Amino acid sequence: MNYLFQISLRNLLRQKRRNFLLGVAIAFGTLVLIMASAFSHGISEVLFNEIVVYVSGHVSVNFSDNGNQFAQVFHDGPRVLDMVKKEVPEMRNVQESMGVMARAIGNGKSDNVIMVGVDLKSGDEQDARDAEKNFKMITGNFMDLGDSTIENPIILSEQKAKYLNVKKNDIIRVRYKLINGQDQAARITVGGIFKPANIFMSAPVFLEIHDLKKLTGYGPNDIGTLFISLDNPKKDAINIANKLQTKLKPSLAGIYGDVSIKGITAQSTILGMRSDTASRNLLARTITFTDSSINVTRDAVIISDSLANVLQVKSGDQIQVDFKSKYPGEKGFGFVKITGIFRPNKTVPSNVILVNELDFYKLFYSAWPQQFTDNKSSFVPDTTNALYSIYSPEWNLLPRVKTTTEMTKQMREVGSKRIRGTSVSVQSMYESASAVLNLEIALHMITFFAVMILFFIILIGVINTLRMTIRERTREIGTIRAIGMQKNDVKMTFVLETFFLSLFSAVTGTIFAFGAMKIISMIKIDSGDNPIGMLLSNGHLHFAPTTASVAGYIILIVAIAVSTAYFPARKASNLSSAEALRHYE
Amino acid sequence: MIRTVLILLTMSIGSVYAYPKIDSILTNIDNKYSLVTDVKARVDLTQQKVNQGAKKLEMTYYRRDSDKSFLIIMDAPENEKGNGYLRMGDNFWMYRKNTRTFQHINRDESIGGSDAKGDDFEDRKLTEKYKPAVDASGNEIITDDTLGKIVVYKFEVAAKVNDVDYPKKIYWVRKDNYTILKEAAYSQSGTLMQSAYYLKFTTIKGRDIAVKMLFVDEFEKGNKSVVEISGISIDKIDDNVFTKAYLENLSK
Repeated sequence: MNYLFQISLRNLLRQKRRNFLLGVAIAFGTLVLIMASAFSHGISEVLFNEIVVYVSGHVSVNFSDNGNQFAQVFHDGPRVLDMVKKEVPEMRNVQESMGVMARAIGNGKSDNVIMVGVDLKSGDEQDARDAEKNFKMITGNFMDLGDSTIENPIILSEQKAKYLNVKKNDIIRVRYKLINGQDQAARITVGGIFKPANIFMSAPVFLEIHDLKKLTGYGPNDIGTLFISLDNPKKDAINIANKLQTKLKPSLAGIYGDVSIKGITAQSTILGMRSDTASRNLLARTITFTDSSINVTRDAVIISDSLANVLQVKSGDQIQVDFKSKYPGEKGFGFVKITGIFRPNKTVPSNVILVNELDFYKLFYSAWPQQFTDNKSSFVPDTTNALYSIYSPEWNLLPRVKTTTEMTKQMREVGSKRIRGTSVSVQSMYESASAVLNLEIALHMITFFAVMILFFIILIGVINTLRMTIRERTREIGTIRAIGMQKNDVKMTFVLETFFLSLFSAVTGTIFAFGAMKIISMIKIDSGDNPIGMLLSNGHLHFAPTTASVAGYIILIVAIAVSTAYFPARKASNLSSAEALRHYE
Repeated sequence: MIRTVLILLTMSIGSVYAYPKIDSILTNIDNKYSLVTDVKARVDLTQQKVNQGAKKLEMTYYRRDSDKSFLIIMDAPENEKGNGYLRMGDNFWMYRKNTRTFQHINRDESIGGSDAKGDDFEDRKLTEKYKPAVDASGNEIITDDTLGKIVVYKFEVAAKVNDVDYPKKIYWVRKDNYTILKEAAYSQSGTLMQSAYYLKFTTIKGRDIAVKMLFVDEFEKGNKSVVEISGISIDKIDDNVFTKAYLENLSK
């Protein structure tokens, strides 16, 4: 076998110029293929790690209060955050995401802005540095966002600063909606001005998320939408979203606390009840009212007759509810207006007040109550209870959706059906950022086809060169066949020659590709407002070659070249020695 | 000295008791403004914004409080003509003439791209939304004032529910008939956000109804809206009016 290697390598050197040119063509093809692949993969990394992470997270947990999609708040935040950290050990980090539309008034100029929260406190220093590298500051310091001595410090793009006619340390007044829907006005201070890396960073003003939460009325235990970043989003995103969906299943909501009126106080279990027609009809069939003319209406608050006797209340009276929160230092309270008095039975016992879900959730979310099931005196309906289905859960977990269209439809339904309480949904990037993912797939396809066309042209050159070589060496083939070389060895000589040529060329092409990528990625590109800037990483083209893809492409190139050479080689080996020796050109 | 103190005390007690309770004023206002009949009117809304010029919306408005229904049909501008908004109980739809579709919307969504919202057109009692504001001593914040030559009560109220636009309001209300002449709305941070002036009234069945109102955006100076109501009819409105089919037919 060794002599076949020697002959093949010697033959490569015999036709130096031709083989050099063919080798250059294969090396160039390899260079283009590897660079294109690395660029495409680099874009994927930028999209997944620098765009999807901020646009939707690889996995997101979304909240919507009372069907209002602008009230993205969950009132038992630490519980969900702890659960996410425990159940998703493979995550890189979890951050709250907030964006609030506002009207901003600068120095004699006004404009619409989006106030976007940047989390500097919950991550480590690396997270803060990662965030910082997205902002090329012209004046001020990115880290000033966390400066508590400045009144609501913000940073904004130079275009927005110019439009609002503001500079560092100027005050901007903003008008926006609080999470409860009320109009609010506040002052924010320009802490710095940056040059936006892409068009999407021109419009928002950025401030520390804890400042933004305070401005928009979030309580100490309230959280906004959670964006979870993963190390391997393509592999893990859907599985983790499904896992979180299971873990976020709500329990029954209930309050055990004091109800009082005119100095009389009693303890009671307060349960929420769904307001849809089917639930109200079921309740009406299950209980009897002391006054038969009473109906279960959407605003029903009904109390057992024994409790009504203790409190000396009648329909139309307003009672106060006080209860302990699970969070130390917080107390829940509110008022409800009695609309009916029922006779207790096996399904609903005596110390119970049933409250329509709108009023119930107002009470429940005023300060997340201690677990009512822990109190021995509390009425805890089990799943066999005939009315179990009408009782309100802690929150409404929306079903998982599979596509962006389904997600949009679900969001619309949440708004239109006026779902009470907090709606919770879990989405992976495949539903929430499908546009970005489709862009990635399109870029991959374009790159792949362009490179394949180029490579096809190069392969035609390889075939042509081999045919010429065989034709030129026909008499030589006749000679070596005449002195005893076997057909198979003749074939192997040509195949090995192509193998070595393509292997050396592919390796050389790979080395040049890495050199070229290094040089190109050092070039700073000022994309300005051009959307192409979103494909850059910190102003540079980002190449991300992987060992697997480089090795794969080298093997592919060698395999294609060898298989291309196989048929002319076989044709050469099948020549009879006499015929080959007679060949003359 | 003692006499002076007694006189001052008498005066202060006298001044406290000289004012009616704010709750009773709010109840009077609610009674005065609540509709006992159906109403149909034409509403012109002229909105002026800084650097954007004026935008005028014309609409026909039907309202029936007995079942919390109202219907708004846009008559102008041309690009809005034929569009409409229908509220029936808890449901609120927007109708688009071009696509002939109804879409569920929230009460706080804009009407015809203006600053007016769905809940501006519904009947919701002041006493359901606001309660008297009290000072550090626990006294209700109410004083005498004059607007032009008209003697008014000026009093402050605080929101008792969250779903109002402003948590604090100050009203200027005629002493003689509890007609609201002016209101100032404040944000939670205490910033004056909007002032409303009730400029013209007409009397229907013994009730004064404001037919011209001016809303001044105090946050962004230069923005203002004028609402003019005309052609008021209090005849009973046919049940068919508050239906999707009626709105669709009008646009054909």
